[in-house]
Amino acid sequence: MTALPATRSAVPAPRRRWGSTGIRRRLAPYVFVLPFVAVFLAFSVYPLIFTARLSFTNWRGTGAAEWVGWGNYTYLLTSPGFWQSLGNSAVLWLLIVPIQLAVGVVIAVLLNSAKLRMRGVYRVAFIVPFVTPLVAVAQIWVVLFDQKYGAVNAFLGLFGLPDIGWLTTSEWAKPTLALLFLWKTTGFIVIILLSGLQSIDGNLYEAAALDGASRTRQLWSITVPLLRRTILFAVVLQTLAVFQMFAEPFVVTQGGPYNSTTTAGYYLYNHITRADLGTGAANSFLLVILVMALSLLFVRLLRAKD
Amino acid sequence: MSATITPTPPDELVERADTGSEGEPRRRRGRGAGLHIGSHAFLGVLLVAFLAPVVWAVLSAFKPANDIIRSPLAFDVGAFTLDNYISMFEDVPIAHGFLNTGIVLVFKGAITLFFAPLAAYAFAKYSFPGKNLIFGTVLLTLMLPTIVLIIPLLLEMKTLGWVNTYQALILPGSVDAFAIFWMRQVIAAVPDELLDAARMDGCGEFGIFWRVIVPVIRPGLAGLAVLTIMNIYNDFVWPVVIASSERMATLQVVLSTLAQNITGNRIGADYATVTGELLAASSVALIPLLVLFIVLQRHFINGILAGSVKG
Amino acid sequence: MRHHTSRAARALAGLGALAAATLVVTGCGPDITGGGSTPDADRLQAPTEKNPSGEITIWDRSGDLFEVFEAAIDDFNEVYPDITVNHVAIDIDARLQNTLITGTDVPDGVFLDDAKVGGFAEFLWDLSDVLAPYTDEIAPQKLDVNTVDGGIYGVPFDLDPGLLFYNATALEAAGVDATTIETYDDLIEAARAYKKAVPSSGPIHIEQSPFLGQLQLDMYANQLGTSIADADGQVRLESPEFEQILTWLDNVQKDGLGTRAEYLSPTDIGELENGNEVFYPWAIWFDFAPQQLLAETSGDWRAMELPSWEDGGARSGAMGGASFVLPREGENSGLAWLFYQFLMFDEAGYTPVWGPNDVYPDGLNTSIPSYIPAADPAKPLFAPLKALGGQDLWAVATEAGAEIPGTAPIPTWWAGAVDYLGNNLQRMYDGDMTPDEVLTQSTADIQKNLIDRR
Repeated sequence: MTALPATRSAVPAPRRRWGSTGIRRRLAPYVFVLPFVAVFLAFSVYPLIFTARLSFTNWRGTGAAEWVGWGNYTYLLTSPGFWQSLGNSAVLWLLIVPIQLAVGVVIAVLLNSAKLRMRGVYRVAFIVPFVTPLVAVAQIWVVLFDQKYGAVNAFLGLFGLPDIGWLTTSEWAKPTLALLFLWKTTGFIVIILLSGLQSIDGNLYEAAALDGASRTRQLWSITVPLLRRTILFAVVLQTLAVFQMFAEPFVVTQGGPYNSTTTAGYYLYNHITRADLGTGAANSFLLVILVMALSLLFVRLLRAKD
Repeated sequence: MSATITPTPPDELVERADTGSEGEPRRRRGRGAGLHIGSHAFLGVLLVAFLAPVVWAVLSAFKPANDIIRSPLAFDVGAFTLDNYISMFEDVPIAHGFLNTGIVLVFKGAITLFFAPLAAYAFAKYSFPGKNLIFGTVLLTLMLPTIVLIIPLLLEMKTLGWVNTYQALILPGSVDAFAIFWMRQVIAAVPDELLDAARMDGCGEFGIFWRVIVPVIRPGLAGLAVLTIMNIYNDFVWPVVIASSERMATLQVVLSTLAQNITGNRIGADYATVTGELLAASSVALIPLLVLFIVLQRHFINGILAGSVKG
Repeated sequence: MRHHTSRAARALAGLGALAAATLVVTGCGPDITGGGSTPDADRLQAPTEKNPSGEITIWDRSGDLFEVFEAAIDDFNEVYPDITVNHVAIDIDARLQNTLITGTDVPDGVFLDDAKVGGFAEFLWDLSDVLAPYTDEIAPQKLDVNTVDGGIYGVPFDLDPGLLFYNATALEAAGVDATTIETYDDLIEAARAYKKAVPSSGPIHIEQSPFLGQLQLDMYANQLGTSIADADGQVRLESPEFEQILTWLDNVQKDGLGTRAEYLSPTDIGELENGNEVFYPWAIWFDFAPQQLLAETSGDWRAMELPSWEDGGARSGAMGGASFVLPREGENSGLAWLFYQFLMFDEAGYTPVWGPNDVYPDGLNTSIPSYIPAADPAKPLFAPLKALGGQDLWAVATEAGAEIPGTAPIPTWWAGAVDYLGNNLQRMYDGDMTPDEVLTQSTADIQKNLIDRR
């Protein structure tokens, strides 16, 4: 078998032989991204531009749209409701993402193990919440967490703990909603992490095991670092999801109590449904900028270790 | 060292090491078995937690509608009835929902599964002017909440005459940004040696993609297929807006039409019947996706990547 | 690292430049700079031909009510055989706004909550001319909520009178006679008496959902002839009437005389069933709870008119309700009017809706018609309710309905106000705000965030 060079240098070949394929090679990436770009131009650019224009007006869906310049932006940036929604999303992020990644990695590693019996059953079970319509389980969530008659408080009562207003107090509504989101989306993250695990060379584990490393040590020193890219990917995805989260607050808490579960996405949704389209457009751009900044931050943080 | 990239499930190797080395096997095996019980307990608890609400929903669909609200946690098998299913099939256009969701899945799924990895390949393995700009638009697409674009997009559909059509359901967002984002990750990990070797063999650019990349990332592709299918299936913001008749409603549209009577403010005397129908519809909607996942997962959670360098 | 961020920054800059350029250059998009059309041209006229024909698209919420209307279409077609009704069950809240704004596939008639009619008025037909023959005989409150700037924008559907539901059995056992209650002071005394007998109880329901709490507040205000906003859309919360209402509510909560729960949540149902909650001042549509949800106390409940706020005052106010609206861009709005005219003002139309039908064998008893001749106490459309011990709810409801004073149109920002007024009311129940603070703060917030920004 031919020994391949270890470096990434191109294999030298006579230019003559490659003639027209040089052009092909330069054109190829453009052709490959063309379908995406076409769809993007057709169905995202126009709405985007329209939305941008809208963000500088006070259009309400009918009649004239008056130019208000930066008015919508200043309203939002000085509005307690806006900042509260960002704060809510931030807290939800803290409640969701670290736990989800940690638990997700452990689950994925366990599910990747050939020794585990009933692997298939577990894998299916973990994805079930993700494919179940939210409206179907919202009801039981409300029932389970009911203050007086819910099973959760009944369980706590066995240990002498007092009744907690899970969905009726602003302190507890966020954790309860975070739990719902965790329940619903962890399976999705597990799949992504599992796929990432596939590409870790098994020989590394063998070498480590021969060196006497325990399973946990292997997890920390091999799995997690090599999964870093996938973990980063998952973090960015879930950050987007948490900030845009809207279905869960809509169905279960309607953003309450006292707007404690009004996420950035839900706050935006309210503008749109109340026909406050100019503010909604401005809101969405602010949100995009924020999320972009966060994602860049993560990329920087997690890539810095390279 | 061979250039095969065949990661073997880590635990198999640990086991081999367990039994191979001398002087330590018993201790290791013991520790391995102990951990395993702990792992099973951990997974078991999670299994129950993940499944319980869904099991509740599925079982509750068989209860008389009033009982679902009255006594949500009581299951009297003797009183189980098919009434919710019957009224659901009568009143809810679930067949349309399945048909339309199926059509969108097939077409939109195919478009994404083909064009997204292709674009991702370009981002991962080529450098060309404008690459960062275009990848920036991929990220932008991901970050924009759909709800914001609804009205202008709807206007565009109206201009094109595409309101309430399949094109409108399929084409916007058909080359999914998430798919590109993920596949770029996966493809970037493919060693360049493989590509160079293929190029030396005279493979055209597309040929490299089709004959080298695709087989190598097959498990990732299968994973992408699963997630793409699920995302399309779960999509409800746009379909609710663009499918203005029963004929075009996807499953999520059908479910959200039912759910409007329940979410938020329960002003409605048929709160109970609608809940029953909703649970029945959700149970039915759940099944095909689950079956699909069970079938597909064998293809991507395998532990063996096919791929080798021809010498 | 730095390489990445500079690349990313360049990408962003490039994107920004591109966007800015296109923004400036492109004038594309729908015309959002034009003004609206003149109001006078928007009065719907009824079709004049003998046998009108055509197809109409009618939007309704899915559920039992959809089935009721579906059955009524057959009756309609007996009078108008050539009008085809395309009856669609649809998520109205999610669809209507976008449909009207973009003018895509606009239906001819839509079922809409009264609170939302004002917000869509610009897209709807002014029905003053077609409703003219009937306006004297429609419940004033329903006409008022549909009126915007002197025009009427909805065909009133149901009147939802507020009633006092009470657990007669439990109250009797405790020696309290609810039938003597005439004012809210009487009610609070009755609650005190009940609590003496049943110390663990919180006799009066206190609503915990901000939205429904605000809706209920509107009901109380309606009794006193006022509402959250006046006819000009200005907030009028800072008034003696609202003070009286909030003080009463505050006292109920502070004296431990209330059970605070969300409408028909597990807590609510539990407390209703075990006799801790025995008074429910609510719209008539609460009656479905004793019928369907309260298995143990079904039959123990009765309904009576609401207490009044002062001696001889109105014994009911409206809570909720819906109307039918006709979008101007519908293709056959005139025909849609004929449909609703039949349904609401023709005996052959409203009888199958409220009377016995396939969906409701005993009739639809969660509301009464807003057309007064149809809401005749002596001519019940729906049957007495077993769940109310065989009580003739029709008589109680129609008599209560007749007492409902007129009101002002519901402001377009009503739903948005829940964030302020609805929430502040809850804070009052939490003990964090006084009634005065609720009224002052809510007025300020609504003014700043909802009214001034229009």
